[in-house]
Amino acid sequence: MLLEVKGMKFPLDRRYYIKDGAHMWLKPEGNLVKIGMDAFAAEMAGSLTFLNVSKRQAKSGEAIGSFESAKFVSRFYSPISGEIVTVNDKVLSNPQKINDNPYNSWIVAMKPDNNEDGCEYIIEGKDEISNWISKEIKRMEGGE
Amino acid sequence: MKLFNLGELNWRQTQLIYHALAYKNIESLVLHSSNDRYMCVGLHQDPRDELDLKYCNKNNIGIFRREIGGGTVLIDNDQVFYNLIIHRNHPKVPYTPENFFRRFLQPVIQAYRELGISAEYRPLCDLVVREKKISGNGGGEIGECKVLGGSILLDFDYERMAQSVLSSDDLRRRFLELMQNNLTTVRKELGVIPSKEEICSILATKFTDLLGPMTKGRVDTEITKKMMELNKQYSSDTWLYQRGTKQIGREIKVREGVSLFHKVFNTQKGPGGVTCEIEENRVKKVSFFNAFSLSHIDQEKLEERLIGLEYDRNKLVNEIIEMIKTHGGLVVA
Repeated sequence: MLLEVKGMKFPLDRRYYIKDGAHMWLKPEGNLVKIGMDAFAAEMAGSLTFLNVSKRQAKSGEAIGSFESAKFVSRFYSPISGEIVTVNDKVLSNPQKINDNPYNSWIVAMKPDNNEDGCEYIIEGKDEISNWISKEIKRMEGGE
Repeated sequence: MKLFNLGELNWRQTQLIYHALAYKNIESLVLHSSNDRYMCVGLHQDPRDELDLKYCNKNNIGIFRREIGGGTVLIDNDQVFYNLIIHRNHPKVPYTPENFFRRFLQPVIQAYRELGISAEYRPLCDLVVREKKISGNGGGEIGECKVLGGSILLDFDYERMAQSVLSSDDLRRRFLELMQNNLTTVRKELGVIPSKEEICSILATKFTDLLGPMTKGRVDTEITKKMMELNKQYSSDTWLYQRGTKQIGREIKVREGVSLFHKVFNTQKGPGGVTCEIEENRVKKVSFFNAFSLSHIDQEKLEERLIGLEYDRNKLVNEIIEMIKTHGGLVVA
């Protein structure tokens, strides 16, 4: 199942973290949660040249790393609280993989703490995601 | 929004001030220049890869790793530095990096034009005059703010820049030539250098036209405290020397579309290097050292194959590896 808005794809098999335009996806795998950037973030950033993960433990909403595109450094944020168990070295050494396929290019795998920090900013399901993306596109077009 | 028109600052303060203001969430325009020269690398750069550290140490050239993006720059007293610190949710802040630069470099373009220099925006974040770069810029998120950083080049020490980034005589000579052909300054364009006060005054007016009136900012104890705290962090080796995304080969950029690309290949017959001069994103010149096991004729063939190619590090490197393999060489790392 896939939602497509203005050429950007949003698989419905995962959830999305939306606080302050964060645009991160999260998908549980075993006892870990894989986290990456969504198609909107990849599209807005343009060609990614650098990616760095700077933390090993994070609270929901905290910046856990940075990426660079067009000589501009942006941060990416952890949707959940927990420990970063694995970093995807393949994506780290070639961040353009995120531009090519954001949903196959997870950045970190986290072991979540047992709390619900940040859950109010996590959405799922076609309607919720569609509403959110439409608002984001409107916001983007207004700002440009 | 506040205006901090600070005149000359100590080299570390020129960086600390805008980081501190961003972390303190103080929307502002900062204008200043450095009273000493130093090298400044982007957040994702490692000075060990970017600089000739021996040369910098020997010549007392300081090194700073900033939190915003862009490449390695030489900063000295011949530049007027501007930083715009603006909240990321400010209605005038565009979403994409390119549009961020396009919008907030407009006042700088206007300032150049008022000085009599017909500067134009060139994506992603250069300002150029007749295709020659006259201002380099970088940007990024710091705390809750987005930050633009760049400088008006009054004059430029091309030699010093080349020496600070490259230890190889040959590469340095090529880089110097590329810079001289593709980088200009206010002095070169006008024949004279207007006063820094005049330039800052024009910049302040042009940014005010875009963002509305500004009130005079004062570096108070809270800002000073934050600067001191950040100074401690940014002075540490753990901050300065951080390995990030491993780049393929080394690229030394002059302006958008113009750079020097150099890569050493380890083969079973020893190391060999290729240097490509890139102009308008295409390979313009190619040269070899040690040349692997390739004959002179094969080198010419490889050169022929590479010249005119669109510059893409991965493709370029793969092309070279293929050619070495075709001619009986083996790339071991």
